[in-house]
Order: sequence, then C-alpha cells, then structure tokens
Amino acid sequence: MRIIGDTNIPFLSYRKIALSLSLIIIIAGLAYQFLGPGLNLGIDFVGGTQVTIKFRGEPDLDQLRDSMAGLDVGTPTLQRFDEAEKHEILIRVENPEGEEGDFTGPIIELLNRDLNTGIGDAFDLNTQGAHSLTDLLAIDDPDGTGLDEEGGAEHYGPMAEAVLSFRKENGIYTSMDQLDTIDELSDPVRVFIKGNAALGEFALLGAESVGPAVGADLKSKAQAAIGFSLVGMLIYIWLRFQLPFGVGAVAALFHDVLITLAALAVTGREINLPTVAALLALVGYSVNDSVVVFDRVRENLKLHRGEDLEQLMNTSINQTLSRTFITSGTTLMVVLSLYFFGGDVINTFAFVLLIGVIVGTYSSIFVASPVALGMHRMLASYRDKKRKKGRRRR
Amino acid sequence: MEKKVLWRVIVIVAVVAAAVWSLWPPSEKIHWGLDLEGGVHLVLQVQTDDAIKAELDDAAQRLVSFAADEGIDLGTTEVNAESFRFSVEVPANTDREGLDEIIGRSFPDYDVTRGGTSWILAFKPNIERLIRDQTVRQVLETINNRVDEFGVAEPVIQRQGIEGERILIQLPGVDDPERVKRIIKSTAFLEFKEVMAGPAPDRPSLLTGYAGLPPSDGEVMSGNRTGYSGEVLGRSYYLVKKSSIITGRDLRSARRSQDEYGAPNVQFDLVPSAADKFGSYTSSHIGIPMAIVLDGNVMSAPTIRAKITDSGVIEGNYSVEEAEDLALILRAGALPASMIYLEERTVGPSLGHDSVVRGVRAAVSGLIAVMLFMVVYYKRSGLNANVALMINLIILMGAMAYFGATLTLPGIAGVILTIGMAVDANVLIFERIREELRVGKTVRSAIETGFSRAFGTILDANLTTLIAALFLFQFGTGPVKGFAVTLSIGIFASVFTAVFVSRTIYMIMLAGRDRVQALSI
Repeated sequence: MRIIGDTNIPFLSYRKIALSLSLIIIIAGLAYQFLGPGLNLGIDFVGGTQVTIKFRGEPDLDQLRDSMAGLDVGTPTLQRFDEAEKHEILIRVENPEGEEGDFTGPIIELLNRDLNTGIGDAFDLNTQGAHSLTDLLAIDDPDGTGLDEEGGAEHYGPMAEAVLSFRKENGIYTSMDQLDTIDELSDPVRVFIKGNAALGEFALLGAESVGPAVGADLKSKAQAAIGFSLVGMLIYIWLRFQLPFGVGAVAALFHDVLITLAALAVTGREINLPTVAALLALVGYSVNDSVVVFDRVRENLKLHRGEDLEQLMNTSINQTLSRTFITSGTTLMVVLSLYFFGGDVINTFAFVLLIGVIVGTYSSIFVASPVALGMHRMLASYRDKKRKKGRRRR
Repeated sequence: MEKKVLWRVIVIVAVVAAAVWSLWPPSEKIHWGLDLEGGVHLVLQVQTDDAIKAELDDAAQRLVSFAADEGIDLGTTEVNAESFRFSVEVPANTDREGLDEIIGRSFPDYDVTRGGTSWILAFKPNIERLIRDQTVRQVLETINNRVDEFGVAEPVIQRQGIEGERILIQLPGVDDPERVKRIIKSTAFLEFKEVMAGPAPDRPSLLTGYAGLPPSDGEVMSGNRTGYSGEVLGRSYYLVKKSSIITGRDLRSARRSQDEYGAPNVQFDLVPSAADKFGSYTSSHIGIPMAIVLDGNVMSAPTIRAKITDSGVIEGNYSVEEAEDLALILRAGALPASMIYLEERTVGPSLGHDSVVRGVRAAVSGLIAVMLFMVVYYKRSGLNANVALMINLIILMGAMAYFGATLTLPGIAGVILTIGMAVDANVLIFERIREELRVGKTVRSAIETGFSRAFGTILDANLTTLIAALFLFQFGTGPVKGFAVTLSIGIFASVFTAVFVSRTIYMIMLAGRDRVQALSI
C-alpha cells in the first residue's frame, strides 16, 4: 500500500506565498499577544492559587463567589472542571502582590465555614483523614473491644483506611449509604460513623499555590530551557550540516513555536509548566522533521554535484514526502488519542502537540528549506562580491 | 541460524531480559509521581532571621543575668538584628574588667566594642551564616520527626541547595493535606511563664499599675478567652515575665489525654533536670498564676496549687485532632524559626487515579492505532516494526525502573509521544527500502542500503530531539522532569529497536533462503 506515489511538486516555487502566509499568521499572532488579551499565563508563572473542589451536588456559583469575597486576594475565577455531572469546580485567585504564604488553607477554611455550617466538630467524611477517624473510633470503641488506645488504633485503623479509600477512588461521599458498600466495616462501626460523622458538602481534589519567588524562578527556568535548546539545535545543525541549514531549521522552529503560541493565545488556554514541556517536545519534533529533509539534500548534493540547490531541495522534499506524511500521521494518531482521552489535566499539553505536529510538518517543507535556500544564496552572492572586490584590488 | 544473527538475538534477549528483570514486579518498581498517586508537594522558606533575632535576644538576656550573678548591674539592652549586634548600657561605676571576663568566658561568638556607657557585642564573621545553616538543619530534623510521628510512608524532605534556606517536602498518599500542612508549619514553641498581672480585657487596663508601659523584665501576651463550651468570647491580656520557667525543650514526652469531663487535653512529662527546676519554682510560687504560652499565644493561665515536678497538662478547648496534633509536635520538638509556604501542589488521590486511567486509555488507544496502521501499510514489515515498538516500550519501562525515575502524568504523555515518534525510525528505514526496491535492487541489498542510508538520518533526527529533552531535564521541575526522562530514554530505546532489532528480524526472516524474490513491505 502506498499513500503517496512518486511526486514531483515544485514546493520551493511556492515559497513566497508560503512564507508570506506564515508571516501574516505570526504577525497577527504577535499583535494579538502584545496588543490584545495576550497569553493566559497560569499560576506556575504569575503566581496564584488554584483549588479543585468536588461538590456533593450542583454547586451554587454565586454563593461560592460570595464566600470567596471574604478573602483579601482579589476576585476569584470559577471554572467548571471536567464533565458537568461531576460537580467539580476550579477556583483560582491571585495572591496578594509580592506576598508569600499558604493561600489554599484560607480558601478551604472559608468554604468550610460557609458550606459546612451544620457540621460543627463532627468528623467530616469528605475532608478529614484516616488518622483522625482511627483516633475517634479508638476513643469511642463501638465494637466494645475494651482495648487501650494503641490496641484500638490497630483494630480500627484498617476500617478507617477502608472508609478513606472509597473517597480516594470516588472523590467524595455523596450519601452515608455508600458506607454500606464497604465490607471491612463491622456493623457497630458503620452505625457509629453514620450517627456521629458528618457529610461535608465538598472534597478537595487538588490545590496548587505558587508564590512570587517560585513563579519568577519557574519563568526564568522555562525561558532558559527554551532559549538554550534553540541555540543547541542551531549549533548542532550548523556543525552537522552547514550554517544555512541551521538557520533554516531554527527559522522553522521559531515559526512553529510562534504559531503555536498564537493558537494558545487565541484559544485563551492557560500556559503552565507542562505546556512548556510540550513546546519543547514540539521543538524536538520540528527539528527532527527538518533534519530528515536536510539529510536527503546533503546526500543528493554528493550524488549530483553542480545541480541547482533549489532543484535538489525540491527533489529531496518529494523523496521524503511519504515519510513526512506517515510520521506526522502516526504522531497525530497518538496525539489525538491524548487530546481526546487524556483528560482535562493534560489537554493543553496535547493541544500544543496537536498544533505543533501540523505546523511542524508544514514548516519542514515550506519554511526550513526556503530559508536555508535564501540564506545559501545570500552567502554565495556575498562571497562573490568579496571575490570580485579582491580581484579589482589586485 | 547464522552465527552473526545468533549473536544479535542473544543481545536482544539479554536487553529485554534485563529490562523485564529490573521492571518486575511493576507495581513495586515503577515510582508513581505525586500527580498520579496523590500527595502533597511543598516548598517552604525557613525564616532564618527569626533564629538570628532569637540568638541575639537570648545572648542579651544571658549577659545581664550572668553579670547580675557576679554582682554587676547592667542597664538596658538593645538588639539590632539587621546588623547582627546588640548593645548594653554599662553604668559609669561598673567593674569593667569583671564584665570583660564574663564576655570572654561566655560569649566567644561575639566581638566587643567598648564605649563609654554602652558596649556593643556583634557576631564574629561567619557566625551569622553558621546560625542560619544550623537553623535550617534543625528545621529539617524537626520536620522529619513530625512527619515520622504522623506516619507518612516514603516522605521526601530535602534542603534545596547546599546552603539554601528552602525546604522541599513531598508526602505521597496523604488523605488530609490541610492537617499535615498545619502540623509541619506550627512553630510549636512552648513556654511556661510567671504571670505578673492579669488577666485583663485590654492592654491599657492591664498596665494601669505600671504607668502604661511594661517593666523591663516583663512583656504583654494575650490569649483567647473562652466560655464553658469552648466558644471564643474575646481576648485576655497578661503581663508575664520575659524569662521562661521552662520551655518545650524541657519536655521528655507529650500525649493526648482528656480531663475528667472527657475534654481532650495534652499531658506532658519533663526531663529530670527541668523537673527539679520546675519543682522548686512551683513549690515557692503556690497561689501565683502561671501562663502556658504556645507560639506567643497564652493557652491558659492556671494558678499553681501545689508543687509540680515532672508532669503537667495543657488545656485549651481542643478537639481530639487538635490535641493529638499538639502532642505530636511537642514530642517532635519546636521549630527554631518560622516558615512560609512558597509553593504548594496537592493532588487528591481520586484526581491522580483519574489521570492514570485516562493516561493509560490514551496510551493504549494510540498504540493500537499506530500498530494497526503499520500492519496495514507495511504488511509483514509492519509486524516487524510493531515487535520493535513493543520491545521499545519494555526497554523504556525497564530503564525507568532501573534509574528509579518517577512516572508522572507528563511522563505518560512522554511515553505516548515516544510511541508516535519511535515508529518514525522504522518509517524512515522502510521508505528507504521501498525506494531501493523501486530502482530495481534485490531484496537483500535493498534492506542493506535502506538501513545504512537511514541510519545517519535517524541519528541526526534523534540527537536533536535529545538536545531538547536534556535542556528540559536541566531546567524542569517535578512532573516536567519526568517527561524529559521518559522522552530521553525513549529516544535511545527507539534507535536501538529500529536499527538493531528490526534489522535482526529481517535477518531471521531471510535466513536460509538463497534467493529472495519479494519482501512484504
């Protein structure tokens, strides 16, 4: 089976149209980022706090907003996480300017105060842990074991763990009846928990808080990682091929990264550490693609000395075209499955790769080679002039 | 089988066996990252300035009391923590030689500047750094103790940088992150102090007998005033002696207990030397209230009714959990300095669980799609590539287990990406072989040239990806590092499997056949 047969498409003839198109997109993207709403930097880089809360029922967003007003940390952003019927909400606030500290603690406390009003001191199945439950059971000893506290802890510990592992799997207890599914519990203990524990309205699924110091740190690290790897690529390709090819590959890289950033800006997706990781993976992929074409050009240069570089590049791109499409295809298959099945946490990561693979494939054909060709011609004419000058002097 | 082929097979079997051996059993050998297993990741900054100030305060007090022991009366002291020094007022008729001797004997860490009526004691060079360093070490040890007492499996508690003042804490599988955070962060500095006046509802009424200012040996402290059922009614103010009778350091042990009404409290025992001191103090101060102060908050101020020697009780309207936590941190020891949170990442177990399920689903569906495609497109050669891909994944997981690398959610994404890109090497080779076949080469020589021509390209293409991965590893943190690790290992594995393993499979396919007419590709 063959998808792409022997082609002979003069790709480089379209270089002016292709490069102008890319430039327009890049400039529009940059304008959108710098003049418009800009990139949506996540808390990893700007600092801030974000907690993911799962509610027993449909959460009342207005009430949540009111609760959060008690924090002196600016207006919170509330956003639904995952599917609606899971009742999961992501609350994000900005930390007070320049201040470090624990900001998830106060958020949880406020929610507790406003949502779990009827609970008092009772054990909350949805926020407290197995240690506390073990202590409670050991003190009250519903099984009537007559053991001291240490022995009681041994007796009741596994039961408390079982109660908590239900929450670990399901995220939240929505009803006391769910305790009936836990076989490890003795009947008196089950009755005791139902009678004495409380069902809080929410459970904490996750919390992230990044202070300004760490945020600045991460930002400079991310910039350094991207900057250094771009320079590393340039040097590697320069050494392995020639300068024009290095410049061509790096131009394609910039092209891919800038367009992907534009896509991130337009979709308003949040940029966090994993997003940067995805950008770097895309850098690797994009160079990979350009290198395959360049390798072929180098080989053909040896075989057909003296032939026009543009012609050679066209031949090389055509020769590697089926590989380019198949590899993009297999990579797209996995990236798409990551995009559709990977879940919310990894979705932006997959989005970057998705855009990156498409743009990267395009750029290895329409950007890397044309730029390398242009650079090569520039260098050649520069050398020509120098030579002529030298002759005149002589 | 030819000898050459046999050798190759042995190498492959050995590599796969080594990978499986280091991977088995996978549930134990693969370390799950906090983002998959659930847990808490914290970065704390130790406020070592606290310790510097405490040391200077303590030294100033010590100097005055040592001098008083030898009959030398000194004036007021003033601490300047920013410039690491304190000054003491030295009256004109003071025995200066005697004072000099005390300083020489008991304050070796200080340089003295002798003025007319005021002497300045400043840290000698390096002392400041030494104190900061010791403080961080002590904090590390205390946190270790606390986490140990609380019972978290496989915690990571590290100092960031050799002289760093940041501490990284990772606690996998924690089910009540807020409680653990409280336990870690409480300074838990416990003091027992003599009450000079109070309680009073506010500061001015407390200090009416002192002209509105606390005396030089006293300070004002406050605590919650509570009703019978524990509700907070307001604050109570006390004037207490600056110097403590005993502190948390004098505790031998502490445990949660309860009073006669069943209300939780904390019982403690003292070490013998402190018990003597406490015994003689309480026996001579019967009828006088004593403040129990935790982190600057007066918890209670019971009146001493009889001599207390080696044990006592702290009450404060605690819940069982709070009493348990207080006993725990008192046992584990106080922190020499306060801390602030710089970073927190908590992943609840259910979220992590969800991520694993979805990550695996994405990986498996991606894998199946790619494998199906390869078979449809390259037929038997596609099978060859699929075998190489499976071996690739086994090596990848084995290497991760061997290096003790942590599997994170971005790491799973790295594995998935590796699947997509690993077949690239095979695609390069196969396309090349097809090309060679088209120009009329025999099967054997087409395979030969296909592999050798493609090799250079594969090397270049993968090395560039490796460059990106290495920089990512260098600058990344946590989960992102996990991604860099899987990506890097995946690159090495895919070069090996595509070039070496696939080649060997072809050799086996073609072995023993003299003239091969067609290749399924």
